[in-house]
Amino acid sequence: MSKNSRITMLNLGSIMKNSHVHYIIFGLVLCLFPMMTSAGGMKNSTLSTLAFVLIFSIVALGLNLLLGYSGLISLGTAGFMGLGSYIAAYVQDDLGLGFWVAVLLAIAIPTLIGLLVGIISLRVSGIYLAIATLCIAEILAKTFEQAEWFTHGTAGKQSKYPTIFGMPMDRSSMFVVCAIVLVLVMMLTYNIVNGQLGRALHAMRSSEVAAQAMGVNVLKYKLFAFSVATLYAGLAGGLYLFFLRSSYPSTWNLFLSLNLIAMVVVGGLRSILGTVAGAFVIFAFPELVLKKLPVIGDASGLPYVFSGVMIILVIMFFPQGLKGLADLGVTTIKTVFSRKKVTS
Amino acid sequence: MTTRNEQILPLEGTETLAASDILAVENLSISFGGLKALDDLSFAIRDREIFGLIGPNGAGKTTVFNCITQFYKPDQGTVLFGVESERLHRHRAHKVSVGSTDEPQDTEVVNLVGRKVHSIIKLGLVRTFQNVEVIPELSLIDNVLLGGHVDFRATILEQMFRLPRARREEKQYRAQALEVLEFLKIDHLKDELASGQPYGVLKKLEMARTLMANPRLIILDEPAAGLNDSETEDLAQTIREIRDRYHCAILLVEHDMRLVMGVCERICAISFGRFLALGTPEEIQENPDVQEAYLGEQESDQEGAQK
Amino acid sequence: MDLIIQPLLRSLETGSVYALAALGIIIVMRTSLVMHFAQGSMGMFAGSAVAFTFNRYGVPLLTSILVGAAVAIFLGFFVDFAIIRRLKRATAVGKEIITLGLIMVFLGLAPIVFGTDPMNLPRIIPRGDVALGSASISYNGILNIAIGVFIALGLFLILQKTKVGLAVRATASNESTAKLMGIPTRNVTLMAWAVAGLLGMLAAVMIAPTTMVTPTYMTAVQVSALFACVLGGFQTFYGPVIAAYIIATCSNFLKLYASSAWGDQLMYLLILLFLLFRPNGLFGKTYMKKV
Repeated sequence: MSKNSRITMLNLGSIMKNSHVHYIIFGLVLCLFPMMTSAGGMKNSTLSTLAFVLIFSIVALGLNLLLGYSGLISLGTAGFMGLGSYIAAYVQDDLGLGFWVAVLLAIAIPTLIGLLVGIISLRVSGIYLAIATLCIAEILAKTFEQAEWFTHGTAGKQSKYPTIFGMPMDRSSMFVVCAIVLVLVMMLTYNIVNGQLGRALHAMRSSEVAAQAMGVNVLKYKLFAFSVATLYAGLAGGLYLFFLRSSYPSTWNLFLSLNLIAMVVVGGLRSILGTVAGAFVIFAFPELVLKKLPVIGDASGLPYVFSGVMIILVIMFFPQGLKGLADLGVTTIKTVFSRKKVTS
Repeated sequence: MTTRNEQILPLEGTETLAASDILAVENLSISFGGLKALDDLSFAIRDREIFGLIGPNGAGKTTVFNCITQFYKPDQGTVLFGVESERLHRHRAHKVSVGSTDEPQDTEVVNLVGRKVHSIIKLGLVRTFQNVEVIPELSLIDNVLLGGHVDFRATILEQMFRLPRARREEKQYRAQALEVLEFLKIDHLKDELASGQPYGVLKKLEMARTLMANPRLIILDEPAAGLNDSETEDLAQTIREIRDRYHCAILLVEHDMRLVMGVCERICAISFGRFLALGTPEEIQENPDVQEAYLGEQESDQEGAQK
Repeated sequence: MDLIIQPLLRSLETGSVYALAALGIIIVMRTSLVMHFAQGSMGMFAGSAVAFTFNRYGVPLLTSILVGAAVAIFLGFFVDFAIIRRLKRATAVGKEIITLGLIMVFLGLAPIVFGTDPMNLPRIIPRGDVALGSASISYNGILNIAIGVFIALGLFLILQKTKVGLAVRATASNESTAKLMGIPTRNVTLMAWAVAGLLGMLAAVMIAPTTMVTPTYMTAVQVSALFACVLGGFQTFYGPVIAAYIIATCSNFLKLYASSAWGDQLMYLLILLFLLFRPNGLFGKTYMKKV
């Protein structure tokens, strides 16, 4: 009996150390927000802002994989996200194929295009990916404006909440869907960066030469990282549409791509929770705090300046980002505690 | 080339390798912008031999093995390598791995020239780096596991979703990696991060990583660089132990004469990219060409110092 | 209207703009080893400063351009002095992300400093055309072409024939060796950023009359200039300039003969395909990496 209970305790201990469990707990906490909103404890607009943080976190996680492990920059993330959103709307509303087909195609088509772009540009050298994705982003932006049958042009594509498993969605339930998808994406990303796949990615980041000598096909893993980044972008684009129920060409511009990079940099390279925190700082902080400031809050360019300055400051003075800050905090607390123990 | 008269295996086209040899460099030439770094260089390494490659500064030692491992594409010449048939076909047919045994196995000869850098390790040829290229953010055991990269059969999708095969392989290779760490006596550090470890440990870690790949030939790039005397002693011992336990050949590209003379069974000396001499350590030490090449270097060093 | 010479003349005009912007990118690239993504937005900021002084204070256009030049040089100095040279430890990617951050800073600052209303900037030479057969070109167009060609040639002469040029080329080829040889590489990079700023400002002033001065009006120039660098290869100073004219010509003819809406996009696709066959650009060389 006592032996049994000790085993359960041990299991519980190891479960609490498991990152997947952390993410699930994080997701459960997120699900409290819609409840707070319906209880009147939070404004609807705040809930929407948080939902966008969750959606952008998904994209930023993919981008972090790309930037953090292969040192590659994509300037086309917003384009792929936009493509995902329009595909989701087109498949659900114009073709009437339902939520699941819509999500599947919103993921598959951008990923395929991303693969093609990656195959072309990654053979040359890293910086070409940035330029090739910029090129694709320009082409996609033009498509969003011109292909009326698909995107409704500059007037914007209107959509409606989806029906998932026979349940019609609304703002709160879509928020929960976003939270669930984010947790799943976090778990998947964790699996990617740990284990053999992660070791190969780490090797590639640390030294391409050594990675190759160990049999890591660098091109393959760069392509993999970029594909995951576009896959997450397409998925998040679909979610964006289902949450907001509309999509405009002006949303999917270069600045969104840059903002997503800012989320990764500020959150901390190669950190999963850091990325989510980075998304919060870059997207929600200007929305919830900066815009409410007197005088400067009205300035239209302020969020951009904020993101830009954050990127520069973090790279100059704090390359580890928020994750590094958290680590520093933890070690400080630990040293303070251990010193107390010694003195007492 | 003392073993050329032994049994010759007829293999892929005209490529042949003496039965006792594992690697043969033949007529290797490469030039960088008109400067000939290697000029018609040939030598062969026997199976399970500790072989040294020496030469004065700028002789082209590093170029030789960058040509062997295909980081450089030679302008001319071939690099023949004997591979167990099983290993050669395992990566195509996805068969179970072979353990290293004392039994002689069927071998096939392949030309390494033109192969992708990352495919070389699959053939059983692994290298270390002069300035230790381990991954600082990973633990020691994870670094070693990287050496088994090509043995992982689980696909990217299986690994992403932690499907049974991925988990089984992780467990199996982790045990194997631990054995390697135990063999090199650094298993007590297995969960420590590689960053911040002393240089001697990192050198051993890099060797552990090569052992993970079930190598037939290990190329060590100046392993003694940065080590003190007792660490170098230790290294010589380790090199012998590795050969005895893993039954592989070792090519030592080295500056430290004491290590080379003490541990190598045969040595090839080169100078300005050309073959100088090949023989036992004693023969090399007494060879007038080698003495001249090294003496010339010393003289020019002294001249440089006087200026 | 002539359907060959007319678009050719226009291509020479826009090609000059792209060439100047591309030269700025390449100079920074070769001296600081950074892909200067913010070239366009820094040019936009200086260009907006020109339009602002001209419209708000009624300062003559040429004087306004001098003000813009001062702003551009100051920004170039500032970015190198306060940010880039403090990043010795950052990777190339880190520096590139910094220039991406700079894009956001300048795009955000422009409406705050210069207001949110789009501004107009007139031509330097207001009117007058020259007829060339059935085609015609404005005096201002000739001026733009002249500025582009003159500056590109002038820079080559400076780079190839003068001591300053030698210092730049030495820094571009190997910074640490150049430093050991007594070349003040810090001054060289500082100068490179200022020159890049000036070139961006000129490009911005030259393209402004064809559009409105808004925070995003240089985006197309930036993209074209980056593609010019890719197409021309990063190893030479002349490659991107020639590529800039090629890109402008392709773009104009594609817009005229293929699709007015999709001309640029078609060209982008063509450039991507081109990279498949000549990954290092028209004039690029491959180097063997030392292991």
